[in-house]
Amino acid sequence: MDVATARDPKANTSSPQRAGPRTAAPQSGFAPWKNPDLPPIVRFEGITKRFDEFVAVNNVTLNIYEKEFFALLGPSGCGKSTLLRMLAGFERPTDGRIFVAGEDITDLPPYERPVNMMFQSYALFPHMTVERNIGFGLRQEGMPKDKIAERVDEAMGMLELRQFAKRKPNQLSGGQQQRVALARCIAKKPRIVLLDEPLGALDKKLRQQAQFELMRIQETTGTTFIIVTHDQEEAMTVASRIAVMEKGLLVQVATPGDIYENPKTRYIAGFIGDVNVFEGKVSKVSDGCIEIDANGGYKFKTKSTETVTVGQQVGLALRPEKIRIGLEKPTSDVNVIPGKVEDIGYLGSISHYHVRTAPGERVTALRANAAHTVEQAITWEDSVWLDWPVDAGVVLTG
Amino acid sequence: MSTRTSDLRRWYVIGPPYLWLLFFFLIPFFIVFKLSLSDVATAIPPYTPTFSWSQGIGKFLSQLDFENYTFLFGDPLYVNSYLSSLKIAFFSTILTLVVAYPMAYGMARAPKSWQPTLMMLVILPFWTSFLIRIYAWIAILKPEGFLSLFLMKLGIISEPLQIMNTTTAVYIGIVYSYLPFMILPLYASLEKINPSLLEAAQDLGSQPWRAFWQVTFPLSLPGVFAGCLLVFIPAVGEFVIPDLLGGSDTLMIGKTLWTEFFNNRDWPLASAVAVLLLLVLIIPIVLFQRQQEMVREAGR
Repeated sequence: MDVATARDPKANTSSPQRAGPRTAAPQSGFAPWKNPDLPPIVRFEGITKRFDEFVAVNNVTLNIYEKEFFALLGPSGCGKSTLLRMLAGFERPTDGRIFVAGEDITDLPPYERPVNMMFQSYALFPHMTVERNIGFGLRQEGMPKDKIAERVDEAMGMLELRQFAKRKPNQLSGGQQQRVALARCIAKKPRIVLLDEPLGALDKKLRQQAQFELMRIQETTGTTFIIVTHDQEEAMTVASRIAVMEKGLLVQVATPGDIYENPKTRYIAGFIGDVNVFEGKVSKVSDGCIEIDANGGYKFKTKSTETVTVGQQVGLALRPEKIRIGLEKPTSDVNVIPGKVEDIGYLGSISHYHVRTAPGERVTALRANAAHTVEQAITWEDSVWLDWPVDAGVVLTG
Repeated sequence: MSTRTSDLRRWYVIGPPYLWLLFFFLIPFFIVFKLSLSDVATAIPPYTPTFSWSQGIGKFLSQLDFENYTFLFGDPLYVNSYLSSLKIAFFSTILTLVVAYPMAYGMARAPKSWQPTLMMLVILPFWTSFLIRIYAWIAILKPEGFLSLFLMKLGIISEPLQIMNTTTAVYIGIVYSYLPFMILPLYASLEKINPSLLEAAQDLGSQPWRAFWQVTFPLSLPGVFAGCLLVFIPAVGEFVIPDLLGGSDTLMIGKTLWTEFFNNRDWPLASAVAVLLLLVLIIPIVLFQRQQEMVREAGR
């Protein structure tokens, strides 16, 4: 049983994959985590890691499936790198077991594990050429020389490194070094590739290219990739599923779409994308809907399967693009709140409206600039009405 | 105008060290070299010719010859002294390397907060006079010294050890005295190695021992070369250690040189010995510089 499904009833309801520039897996229908009969390729079972008094990883249970591109996401110090290093064998868990393909590898040394890691610093051997760096892992296996040359050439071809074969790492640019590190990692054809902040040292444009390259390599080799990152956009772009960690705990494991649409906590809602959160108290729970008395006397109603009790303090999260903004008062009397436009961010295709509501909260709403359908342009200092449908908001208890 | 002043300024900076080398190295060297081409004389100073303006420079130069050098190569005592010095210096360098490497490695891998303390412990012996430390070794190594007494108390040996006045004592003295010169450059190069390189090696299937030979050791080679030269060069010309610990058994060029100067008062021959020693030592220095250049070219 996956922790995501155990903890989050919404993870199993099929929410559509996020539309986006995805080229790699999952193809539509790639969702091995939904199949309870499929054995995971990696299983963390009750993993805890303490450094003296500090708990870096706290009782994490997590399944990762074959051919997944799995992201561990969180701010620095949340334990994501420690979790990855335990899988690579550089750290011993204080408690719990780690399984790869059903086999307990908790006590295996790093050099006997079927995983290869790409380091944040790339850790290329400075005294070896690109070619020898990539072939390093194969030489350890005692593979015959011609076979090594073949595999090294294959890896170099895949990452367009052939012309650098005889160079030393310090004669390469950052982007080239990053590709050598990846080539060295996949040359051994491991079952699982671990990536520890692999693109952190690249500038933004190069990073985006590299993300697509990672996805291409992951798809063509059919390998399971596990990436550690603090960059939510990167995780959203590359991953089939994301595990969000905070202070050593696994907070939510779900697809990028699910994490975006149904964040479990205020922390995740704020961490991934822009979000407006209205605070309030639960006033009524009935047939799949929760009603909230918000600050300022407004009434909100939203569809939710979250278990809450009347009187409980909750947050209502709304993505800016889900909020309608208009000059006319909507007919509905729930999910409506008046305000004044304070600021407009015009971004060409869309505009951001920053609205100060009557209770004094600042709300961001998005509106597409489809010129001829706009009945009246909204401008600064206009009194406006914000409203949203009952299925737009997400109730946050955490 | 501005380039002239900047040229001048550059000379202010690099001039003094060059002047220093000129006055305290190059000129003394030429004096010693001239001496080595002279002949012994019972006079003050004890050699001839001495330069005087009345004689003229041509006459002065014509009296110089390479007699001392041909003599050096003709007498097996000097050849053997050189060879023995090189041998002792070579093996004590290897021994020092073997002892120093694990210590430097341990220092480099120790918690960061310990490293200054460990470094301090390595340097600490320098706070005592070198001569006193060698005398202390006499007290340890002599037959009725601490080492023999201690081992006899433990019942490991029944007779006192005969180490004093042997080549073994010289090896012990050299390894002990020059250990810091080996540890410090080794530590400097080991400490620079990114620990994730070793993790990467292990991750790629290399067992710790193989990872050491494939990654750590090659990357520490600059430190190995520097340390070996810092030990080898002074060890070849070492005088105090073989004189105090080696007794009459040990033949080393430093001792031979001393005997020529002070017992035989043959300054010209002693100078020839010194010049030849310098030439012998220039070879490893040139080798080292070549190696350093290669490292620099490799861009590390």
